[in-house]
Amino acid sequence: MSNATLDGKSISSEDAYEKAAEILQAANFPLVAGLGADVAGAQAAILLAERLRGAFDHLASRDSLADLEVVRSAGIFVTTPNEARVRADLVLLVGPGLTGYWPAIFDRLALDKETVHGGKTARRVIWVGPKRGEAKIDGVEVETIPATEAELPGVLAALRARVGGRPVALPAAAAKKLDAAAEALKSARFGVAVWSAAGLDSLMVEMLQGMITELNATTRFTGVPIGGRGNATGVLQTSAWMTGFPPRTGFGRGYPEHDTWRFEASRLVESGEADAALWISAYSGEAPPWEDVDIPLITLGPPGSAPKHGLFIAVGKPGENYDAVEFAQETSSMVLRRASAPAELPTVAEAIAAISAKFSEDLPC
Amino acid sequence: MLTRLYGGHVVDPVNGVDGVGDLYFEDGRIVAPPEGRSADVEHDVSGHIVMAGAIDIHSHIAGGGVNTARLLLPEAHRAHRPRPANTPLSTAGWSTFETGRLYAQMGYTTVIEPAVSPHHALHAHLELADIPIIDKGFLTVLGNEDFLLSAFRDGATQDSVVDYIGATLEATRAIGVKCVNAGGVDAFKQNIRHFSLDDVVPEYGLSSREIFQTLQRAVNATKIRHPLHLHMNNLGLPGNVETALATIDSSQGLPLHLAHVQFYAYGTEGKNGFSSAAARFAEKINANKNVTVDVGQVMFADIVTISSDVMKQFNSLPGGRPKKGVIFDGDSNGLGVVPYSYRVSDFFNAVQWAAGLELFLLCDDPMQVFFTTDHPNGAPFTTYPEVFALLMSADKRAQYCSRLPADVLELTNLPALKREYSFYEIATMTRAAPRKLYGFEDRGQLGAGSVADIAVYKPQPDKAAMFRSAAYVFKDGNLVVRDGKVSHYTKGRTLRVRPEYDRKINSRLDKYYDGLYGLPRSLFEVQDAALPNADAFAEVPCRS
Repeated sequence: MSNATLDGKSISSEDAYEKAAEILQAANFPLVAGLGADVAGAQAAILLAERLRGAFDHLASRDSLADLEVVRSAGIFVTTPNEARVRADLVLLVGPGLTGYWPAIFDRLALDKETVHGGKTARRVIWVGPKRGEAKIDGVEVETIPATEAELPGVLAALRARVGGRPVALPAAAAKKLDAAAEALKSARFGVAVWSAAGLDSLMVEMLQGMITELNATTRFTGVPIGGRGNATGVLQTSAWMTGFPPRTGFGRGYPEHDTWRFEASRLVESGEADAALWISAYSGEAPPWEDVDIPLITLGPPGSAPKHGLFIAVGKPGENYDAVEFAQETSSMVLRRASAPAELPTVAEAIAAISAKFSEDLPC
Repeated sequence: MLTRLYGGHVVDPVNGVDGVGDLYFEDGRIVAPPEGRSADVEHDVSGHIVMAGAIDIHSHIAGGGVNTARLLLPEAHRAHRPRPANTPLSTAGWSTFETGRLYAQMGYTTVIEPAVSPHHALHAHLELADIPIIDKGFLTVLGNEDFLLSAFRDGATQDSVVDYIGATLEATRAIGVKCVNAGGVDAFKQNIRHFSLDDVVPEYGLSSREIFQTLQRAVNATKIRHPLHLHMNNLGLPGNVETALATIDSSQGLPLHLAHVQFYAYGTEGKNGFSSAAARFAEKINANKNVTVDVGQVMFADIVTISSDVMKQFNSLPGGRPKKGVIFDGDSNGLGVVPYSYRVSDFFNAVQWAAGLELFLLCDDPMQVFFTTDHPNGAPFTTYPEVFALLMSADKRAQYCSRLPADVLELTNLPALKREYSFYEIATMTRAAPRKLYGFEDRGQLGAGSVADIAVYKPQPDKAAMFRSAAYVFKDGNLVVRDGKVSHYTKGRTLRVRPEYDRKINSRLDKYYDGLYGLPRSLFEVQDAALPNADAFAEVPCRS
């Protein structure tokens, strides 16, 4: 049985690869987007974008870039979940929905267990702006600083101000609570803030990191970012060593140019600048973010994720249907995920190779 | 296919060759002049200098630190030219691809990345696999991890430490062991901001001296060829030559490599309390033949410092140029990435520049002193040709000195040093000596049986131009560079060591990982299935 469809109708794999090559080669400025792929898949996709003189973007670039904008404009303090697990005597959870972004978070950080290094003590856990009812962790007494999403930037700013001994204009009770939290942060031996950029914006991450910088004047404090979905961090790393830049990079001029606005996938499609797209979402089958745009679309996703329109080629799920390298949240490093349910499906890299094999010879390699 | 390079001036210190002669190679190896056969391909290299491919013993070219620097500094590596057909990513600035291309064009054919944390080994291998043409390898970083420090504290036998090192080299596929600010990286996590040779790591009760010495003995006992590669305490600080001298005094008569020593050649003289102490340092190096050093020369350029010495990097943050940086407290390890700009008008930078050259010129034996800029910490590797030219010309150094702040010249001996390196000494420093330091049996020389990694340069008055653009480079016998431009891309090998060790350590380590991290140790091992080119590894033999 073929795993490819065209406008919802089954076609042979060979025809699908042929058609995909035709679409991409005919385009003036094709977009390779989604990029929800393992490292080998991302490498193939980025090389393809370069060969076609197109652009590439990742489906969670917004989140990766929220952290990266802070890195490249101000800098960042980070650690690994392992180091937080063994050493963090204070954990500052920032923003709502952390368990949604990283389901294993509390178990991995062993918040209910004593620290191992730097002294054996129970951990203090403070959560700024959790969702209602979210701040419950088995065996852990969680102190909360309530804040709605709208209030969170102001509360973070006020907390940073109090850490630095600067005045805030808040009611006495709220100020007292913040002062207590600020004191706790300052008296931590090795404090760790945990956040997900998916739930914050760049300015909030910068506010948090600014506070961490100030805390390091007298003690040790650092952070654990929760990376974006679809191997966003792994693709970011791969893109960096291949091109020097993160995703949202284009090759139109024959060399890599990075611009977070110009090469944003939805903008390229909706403005008409991109005239064909290869959408890769091998982990989840997530659909493209753009709407009502009729450009030729090729989708690589897991079986069952075919869109109604356009060309679809099923690929395996990385680390599930085939052995794959990805960035692991639990280790903050690249790891090999062995296939838990091997399947007779092409990998992302294989699908791209099969498409590329159909290009006519006048395209440079 | 038999190839002959004829008429060139062959400079091959390992074989004592320094004169005009022919060189033959076939099937990727250098062969003795064959009798009764003529070559299939001949290159007239008369008037050229012929050397083995150069070997860089310490250059940060791959891994999490380098990649973090790329992401930190998008402004530093814009490309400006469209790429030619048939060379994917050939115009990407500061990419894996560019790294291989630029090294090859200078006649370098082997480069060692000196600092990869064991838990980030896979990432480094993925990058190395992507670097074309050159062979490469990395040192893995030990000496700040709880497993080892606990073992030292608890008086573990040397055999068990040897087993641990063997298992780590196996899991990471590294070529040797580096130690960075022994104990200081762990101490920084415990909020200690300065850490010297006799300071003690809390929790373990071990001084930096004890840690590096015990590790040095254990590395020696593994029989891997490369000695412990040590990044000492107090990097960059005024007066730190005392630390360096004391470290050499503590080197136990065993092989020890000291990394980027220019950054430790500082005294406290003068009104700024900062001076070159290179003369004292060089004297000590000359007197201790068990010690090798690489210089870590500074050049006046915009750079980025990438170091596992996270304590030092944290302390450098306020002086960053521009002022930003990444401070990473890694698993039993660390990393700091801080941009910087060395300026000829800056008193401190000028002293650093002069101190590095003094070390080059005052260390007598080019087998003992290695050519590095600690890329990119002291200067990008692309400045090597200019540094070679400085070593080969006292006049060129005088030209540079005329641009330095006047008070700098009073605090260095550089203007008085008239030594000029010969091609033979340059080849010793960049070919013969690295061959010995890493125990390579198949490279660093042009004798029969060696890999046909060959660099051919066209002599010219401008030595920097000569070394910048090799006339020919052969990698494994393939012509890869012609007239300073890559003409053919190949895939290089990754070099690793596999010392003998007792596999019983593995179950202990598995238990340790499970207990401390609640994760399988295999998650951190480099496995064939993770690599695009698992067959690209080549093993460097251990001592028998």
